[in-house]
Amino acid sequence: MNYYIEPIARLINELSRLPGVGSKTAQRLAFHIINMPEEHVKSLAKSINEVKGHIKYCHTCGNISEEDICNICRNPDRDPSIICVVEDIRDVTAMEKTREFKGLYHVLNGTISPMDGIGPDDIRIKELLARVQDNRLEEVIMATNPNIEGEATAIYISKLLKPMGIKTTRIAHGLPVGGDLEYADQVTISKALEGRREM
Amino acid sequence: MRLRELGLINYRNYIKLELAFSSNLIIFSGKNAQGKTNILESIFLSSIGRSHRTSRDREIILKGEKESRVRALVEKKEGLSLIEIALAQNENKKISINGMAADRLGELMGHINSVLFSPEDLRLVKGSPTERRRFIDMGISQTFPRYFYSLQRYNKILGHRNNLLKSIGEKDSLRKTLSVWDEQLSETGAYIISRRLKFIEDLKIIAKRTHREISFDEEELDISYIPSIEIDSDNTEAIMKEYMKTLETNHNDDIRRGRTEKGCHRDDLNIFINGMDVRNFGSQGQQRTSVLSLKLSEIEMMHKETGEYPLLLLDDVMSELDQYRQGELISYFDKVQTFITTTDYGNLPHIKDKNAEIYIVNKGKVDKA
Repeated sequence: MNYYIEPIARLINELSRLPGVGSKTAQRLAFHIINMPEEHVKSLAKSINEVKGHIKYCHTCGNISEEDICNICRNPDRDPSIICVVEDIRDVTAMEKTREFKGLYHVLNGTISPMDGIGPDDIRIKELLARVQDNRLEEVIMATNPNIEGEATAIYISKLLKPMGIKTTRIAHGLPVGGDLEYADQVTISKALEGRREM
Repeated sequence: MRLRELGLINYRNYIKLELAFSSNLIIFSGKNAQGKTNILESIFLSSIGRSHRTSRDREIILKGEKESRVRALVEKKEGLSLIEIALAQNENKKISINGMAADRLGELMGHINSVLFSPEDLRLVKGSPTERRRFIDMGISQTFPRYFYSLQRYNKILGHRNNLLKSIGEKDSLRKTLSVWDEQLSETGAYIISRRLKFIEDLKIIAKRTHREISFDEEELDISYIPSIEIDSDNTEAIMKEYMKTLETNHNDDIRRGRTEKGCHRDDLNIFINGMDVRNFGSQGQQRTSVLSLKLSEIEMMHKETGEYPLLLLDDVMSELDQYRQGELISYFDKVQTFITTTDYGNLPHIKDKNAEIYIVNKGKVDKA
């Protein structure tokens, strides 16, 4: 049974395909859009339209970019001797927000996961190895997620890099800063204990 | 620990059931198929997070209803703990501990510890190694929550590795990624084996003593862990090295078979009485008493690890034991809160002097006798 006239039903249907949006939120958004001023709706539609056409992937690191090379890779102030390897474009943003990291990135676009049929050739490992040929490079930081697949990917890459004489490091995992020991789960606490250091 | 209250809603044949317990010996008596075991099952569920009878939550939900609920209030040394579990038709079960929602099943472990003994437990001796590994795993998980996570992690890594082994058959270049999974499997597997070895070593001593008591000093029970990987020390690092080596040596076999042939997922437990393998050479009676000894020893183990006795759930096993062994079980009741199902409570020994709470179960109605 269709409660809505077709254009609205179609809009609701499209919106509900977005992540995190269920049918109720989709309805709310759709009715909000109907009540928006015309020019506002046009500008929303235009930006949705353009985002796909204008976005490219950086030829070097795989990050999203407006140009062939992203603004991190182009920035002369960034340190090319250190590359941080992440799973996903969103992880680049997460790292950038810290403003601590001054090196370059490499986005893998996934992790090795045999259960999903994803092998090393299906993610951007070849591209990483090509970058390693640059003799300015001194260190590669493996910043994949601390789960089974992320760990496997980190181990695999480090095994490839070590014989090439490149220092490979893994980001620490343990307790979140500002968190309470009391609320952390046991696995996190045992991991944090394993990774303790002298003060 | 003591179970103080149990509440069931739409659980199997109970639309609504509220029970409050004050004694250490609780008996559910009634004819077959009246719902006695369902009560024990619900206590077990609030302890482990799953039923001992089914892996499908749907079977537990009362016909025509959307959701089942179990509410268990336990008293422990450190105070009261409230466990609530909701089972829904097509969703994962929801668990809440003291009013706080738990994201993971593992968080439930250790809040209510229990040891269940039912006629099906004879599988522990007669059944496949899976049954014996489950016995070990449940015993350890309840006292070491990290162990439970490690098991889940192990199974996931194993799933990846087995999938990879099958893929290598079609695409040989993937072979180079195998060592990555060997490494992770060895690390988690070595931790699991070292915990199991420790558990069996302690259990062995208690089981020997317990079995001597229930066999009138006639029988010597001995158990040992049989790893599929050759190990000569209980040091986790050393086990991990052997684990890696074994996986590597078996690469070709594993690839041909498309599955991981060696590892803690293939290990077993040997049970001997007077030097004879109970599985193959034990009488029905010996098999039954060795299971009883192991279960009773598990209770002692939990007490040793946590300082608190678990709940003992005896599902329809009294009738299978002779008077002496029934009495032996009942002697535990002073220390351990025990829930018994039976078809006739009148036949149980020492009931009167133990101040037992007796409930008559009849077609989903539970009344005090």
